[in-house]
Amino acid sequence: MAGSRIPRLTHQQFLVLGLLKEREQPGRVLRQAIAAHGVKRSAPAFYQLMARLERDRLVDGWYEQITTGDQAVTERRYRIRPPGAKLWAEARDFYTTLIARAEEGWSDA
Amino acid sequence: MRKDALARLLSTLLPDAVRQDLFEPSLQDLYEESARTGRGTVFASIGLFLECWRLAPSEVFAMFTHDVRHALRLLVREPGFTVAAILTLALGVGANVTVFALVNAALLRPLPYPDADRLLVLEHRDRRTGITKPFIAIGDFVDLRARQRSFESLAAFGTGPSTVFTGEEPFDIFVLQATPDLLGLLRTPASLGRALTADDARERAAPVVMLGYEVWRQRFGADASVIGRSIKVDTLMRQVVGVAAPGFRFPANARTDAIVPMAVPPEAPSERKSGWTFAVGRLAPDSSADRARDELTTISRQMEREHPDQNDGSEYFAVTVRDAVMGETGRALVLLLAAVGLVMLIACVNVATLLVARAVGRRQETAVRIALGAARWRLVAQWLTESLVLAAVAGSVGILFARWAIPVLVRMVPVSTGLPELARIGIDRVVLAFTVGLMGLTTLVFGLAPALSIRAHHAADALVSPGRVTSATSARRASSALVVIETALAIVLLTGAGLVLRSFSRLLAVDPGFRMDRVLTIDISLPSDRYSEEPSRTAFYARVFEGLRQLAGVEAAGGAIVMPLTGNNWTGPFDRADRPVPAGQRPPDVGWQAATGGYFSTLQIPLRAGRLFNPGDRPGGPAVVIISDAVRERFFAGEDPIGHKVRTGSGEAEIVGVVGNIRRAALTDQPRADMYFPIEQGAPPGMTLVIRTADDPLRSVAAIRTLLRGIEPQIAVRDIQTLDAIARESVQILRLALWLLGVFACAALALAAVGIYGVMSHSVRQRTREIGMRVALGASASNIVWLVMREGVVVAGLGAALGLAAGIGTARSLDALLYGTSPSDPLTLASAVVVLFAVALLACYIPARRAIRLDPVTALAAQ
Repeated sequence: MAGSRIPRLTHQQFLVLGLLKEREQPGRVLRQAIAAHGVKRSAPAFYQLMARLERDRLVDGWYEQITTGDQAVTERRYRIRPPGAKLWAEARDFYTTLIARAEEGWSDA
Repeated sequence: MRKDALARLLSTLLPDAVRQDLFEPSLQDLYEESARTGRGTVFASIGLFLECWRLAPSEVFAMFTHDVRHALRLLVREPGFTVAAILTLALGVGANVTVFALVNAALLRPLPYPDADRLLVLEHRDRRTGITKPFIAIGDFVDLRARQRSFESLAAFGTGPSTVFTGEEPFDIFVLQATPDLLGLLRTPASLGRALTADDARERAAPVVMLGYEVWRQRFGADASVIGRSIKVDTLMRQVVGVAAPGFRFPANARTDAIVPMAVPPEAPSERKSGWTFAVGRLAPDSSADRARDELTTISRQMEREHPDQNDGSEYFAVTVRDAVMGETGRALVLLLAAVGLVMLIACVNVATLLVARAVGRRQETAVRIALGAARWRLVAQWLTESLVLAAVAGSVGILFARWAIPVLVRMVPVSTGLPELARIGIDRVVLAFTVGLMGLTTLVFGLAPALSIRAHHAADALVSPGRVTSATSARRASSALVVIETALAIVLLTGAGLVLRSFSRLLAVDPGFRMDRVLTIDISLPSDRYSEEPSRTAFYARVFEGLRQLAGVEAAGGAIVMPLTGNNWTGPFDRADRPVPAGQRPPDVGWQAATGGYFSTLQIPLRAGRLFNPGDRPGGPAVVIISDAVRERFFAGEDPIGHKVRTGSGEAEIVGVVGNIRRAALTDQPRADMYFPIEQGAPPGMTLVIRTADDPLRSVAAIRTLLRGIEPQIAVRDIQTLDAIARESVQILRLALWLLGVFACAALALAAVGIYGVMSHSVRQRTREIGMRVALGASASNIVWLVMREGVVVAGLGAALGLAAGIGTARSLDALLYGTSPSDPLTLASAVVVLFAVALLACYIPARRAIRLDPVTALAAQ
């Protein structure tokens, strides 16, 4: 049955990929967004999470120059890749199915 | 914004992956925040740096696992390369692990005695004959034990087979007879009952025995009530007083089924060398092996001065228990390990050339990664990880190979090598640790060359002109250099194998001075209670030989005390009665043997003059001896020895015959002077029967056994084997070395051929356009063949030159295994070079053939 497999994504990866699913984002913004969900991580720890997603080819990462105030700085930006989107969808289906079955009282379990 | 100097400094202190993936983006975020808020970055940078270091271990591990996955994907993607590399390395690892397992069991595994390295065995060397014996004259033992201070104590011991009669079926056991202090000296207490005490060895003490633990379990059902019970060991009733510790055996390569006390006279007998015993000592706490050896030398000199007529030239020295057990076998094993190590090195070099070639093929990938900012060390780490994965897979396959090969090797090891723990050879923790170490080393050896061949400027070349191959020239040179090394190593192994082969063939061609075919040997010993008187023994042997002569298929039969080719070096003094050695001087030693007349006719030792022993040589009659040719040449030059008399311990004996020389101790032994005493005039309680049969001697065993049991039901019959088998066993260690070195050399040769072929094929591919142009300009097929082969010949020539130099140097270490062959034997060296060149030329010829078949148009169009 679709969505019945345990997701390969951790909660944090699920959260980050979910945020990236809508649009590409800079790492700094992503970090703030997950912090709003209660996931507070240091910058290196956050970028470690992102580096592993990159290495697993679930996201693409690159540097882009922006201007802040009167200064030019670079920021790391991320975009979800199709395998990342697929894994995220599988994880969402799993949780959706889980919730639905919990609400039905596990009658057919 | 530019990074400040502090951040630059900190970033250099981080591992590359951590810097790129964690520190850099975090720092950029910090700068962005600073630009917005105007906050300083110094402390925050340091905070980031520290946090990165906290995360570094898991990050580096993640990188490693990523690299491992990448390496596995690559291996699957290139099955041809993968199979070739893994098989090459697996064979190398398997062979190394197999030989190491043997070395581990024989040389590294601790002996089953506490502080075994402080146990020394005493040996005797006769300066005059150069003969070394692993035992010590009884008179000298008594004096040495009383005078020495280096040992806590010295114990005498001997071993031999016996038979136990328990009322049920009698069974054979192996008995250790020792002075009672031996067990204390070995620090092995009894597991049940008591150990032997000094009282047990006193004159007229009640006969006692300690049982070995395994015999107690298997034959007495581990019954504790066996203590105090009496059992018949050979002919003597002995009371069981204790059971030895589980696994106890002494010497380490023997079986100890029972221990009985040995008595040593309190004073040295006047005939100091009337008996010989093995001796072992434990170093005193404040002593050392060197001090003990010095002291033994000093006491030996004292005894020489005090008893020049018996001790002139007698020297005692000490060796460790392990050396005493292993002897030359230990050195041979280390040599084999070195040889198999060379095979491993060649396998590594071969895989390195494959990897270098693959590195050239992956220049594009490398170039792109460097252009995208990958640091060189990061690429080196990835290459090394790939090599490690390869080594790990090959190591696992190699272990499987070793599991199959170890039992095969163990079956080939001759029993006479005395390897302890032979039955327990296998893959234990030490062997596994060796394998892991070997794989780590292997990874470095074959992984480093291609990894270091990564150069940033090569990568740039690859990006600018991806079709050109000029930048691969250095890789080709690297490959050629590796093949030179490989060829040199192959020559070293070929030389070693060739020398051992020459020795072996010379040894097989040796004439031992007697015929070994169709001869059966049987050890017999008589129950001493019923044969305590010599006439009864003489009568018994007369009936045995009479019975044997009448047995169908038996052509001749005889008996002797010392069996040829079993390493036995017994000697005795030779002293002409008419020209006796002056009083106070020790007569020269010659080989000692006691035999029947039938012994000579059975072994077909030729009679040169006089007669053999015959039934007329009766006890109480005129004492007679037979001498060998060498004794005649040495002591009777220009004289007829027949009728001359020699002095023996108890009087004089007349020389009645001269027989041919034989190689008695071993085939490698030089024919020596021997003197034979007649068993007819002094029947011993046991001997070795030699029986020549008309056909396969083993077919007569049952009939002979029936005959012996018919004459004496309680006779102990042991060690039934053919003389051929004894001879084979005596050269088995050389045969094993030859077999292993031969296999290693063939493997080395094959690997070198594959290496040369690989380099030549690669070279032809690289020079496709050049060859095409030469063909277009009219070069003949032979020109092209020579063009290609020249490179191979140069590589093989350089390798051969290096290998010859190294081969001559290392062959000297084979000296112990060689027989009649010089380590720098020119024929062997030349043969090794010729064989290698033949194989190298063949390996070059195949790519050369491919080159002459090139179509010039296609070749010129090739990029």
